[in-house]
Amino acid sequence: MQLFKDFINGLWNENPIFRMVIGICSALAVTTSANNGIAMGMALTFVLTCSSIFISLLRHIIPDKVRIPCYIIVVATFTTVVDLFMKAYFPSLYEVMGIFIPLIVVNCIVLARAEAFASKVGPVRAAADALGMGLGYTWAITLISMIRELMGAGTLFGYQVMSDSFTPWVIGILPPGAFIVMGILVGLINMITRKKVKDTHCQ
Amino acid sequence: MNQYVRMIVVLMIISIASGAVLALSYEATNPKIQEQARQTLEQSVLNVIPGATKMEVVEKQDMTIYVGIDDQGNKKGISFKATGSGFNGPIEIMVGYNPREGKLTGIQILSMSETPGLGAKIKEEAFTKQFTQKPVEDEFTVKEDVEAISGATISSTAVADAIKASLDKIVKIYPVGGDF
Repeated sequence: MQLFKDFINGLWNENPIFRMVIGICSALAVTTSANNGIAMGMALTFVLTCSSIFISLLRHIIPDKVRIPCYIIVVATFTTVVDLFMKAYFPSLYEVMGIFIPLIVVNCIVLARAEAFASKVGPVRAAADALGMGLGYTWAITLISMIRELMGAGTLFGYQVMSDSFTPWVIGILPPGAFIVMGILVGLINMITRKKVKDTHCQ
Repeated sequence: MNQYVRMIVVLMIISIASGAVLALSYEATNPKIQEQARQTLEQSVLNVIPGATKMEVVEKQDMTIYVGIDDQGNKKGISFKATGSGFNGPIEIMVGYNPREGKLTGIQILSMSETPGLGAKIKEEAFTKQFTQKPVEDEFTVKEDVEAISGATISSTAVADAIKASLDKIVKIYPVGGDF
């Protein structure tokens, strides 16, 4: 039950993008097409899960004073592994994501979960939390990128869905479009959750 | 154990382990990455030289030239990379050229970071096909002999200028009508 709670936490209650609003630099930059969103989400989920498990296993060995450098080395190693394998096996995807894969190292979600969660609990709970956070990030940026792709190109996952008479709103795939779409989504989610609190008389 | 010694030892062990993992994954992926890069390059060379099925790399006067060869071993044309600065950053173009006819055989945009929906249209065939069969003596001036993309004059000009600038150098090495 505890494991399930840890897992669900990242998907909704503490969704990194919509609730905590951390790690959004990659979420704003690569979300120009739905494929990018999914790929970026998977890359981050992999790095986050592997490094959370490792950091949790090493939590009694790592001295408190050097914990941050240790976390960063672990995260950087997994990020570079993903970077190399992506370059070798998915070159077209790598071309689009370019700099944002190496930048997973400094993505606050990874360090935040290492510091706030993985370094305090066992590897199984750390893995559940990391998977939840990673998938929470993935669904959030995939949703953003689907909306942006639909607006800016009239396609979804590369398939034409709008009729030919649809004029693409180019702003959707330009940087301002990312802020507009994300802002509206965060607002919507705040609205939904606010209502829920009222219903249960928790205020 | 003294806590300072412990700090150093733990950090060192983690660093060594991470170094080992990185070295192994580099070894595992490097041949594949090199192969991918070579394939992408070869594909773009073959795209801009019609009829070519393989390429040969020639270094001449500090320019790298890719010669396209067909199945019978006939040289079908040469190609080279041209770089220009676009609206948002550098634009890299592969240009195919047939010195015997003195005409371009095609161009392909290798990399660019132009505005999606506007300048990024330089990648589309509607824009690139106008350079196929274009005589190299042409001026390559936008709105005269090169048709610009509406709303993306800077990107269109950058492509035309980049091709012309590299072409001037190439024509000195491979004059029109000459062999290659």
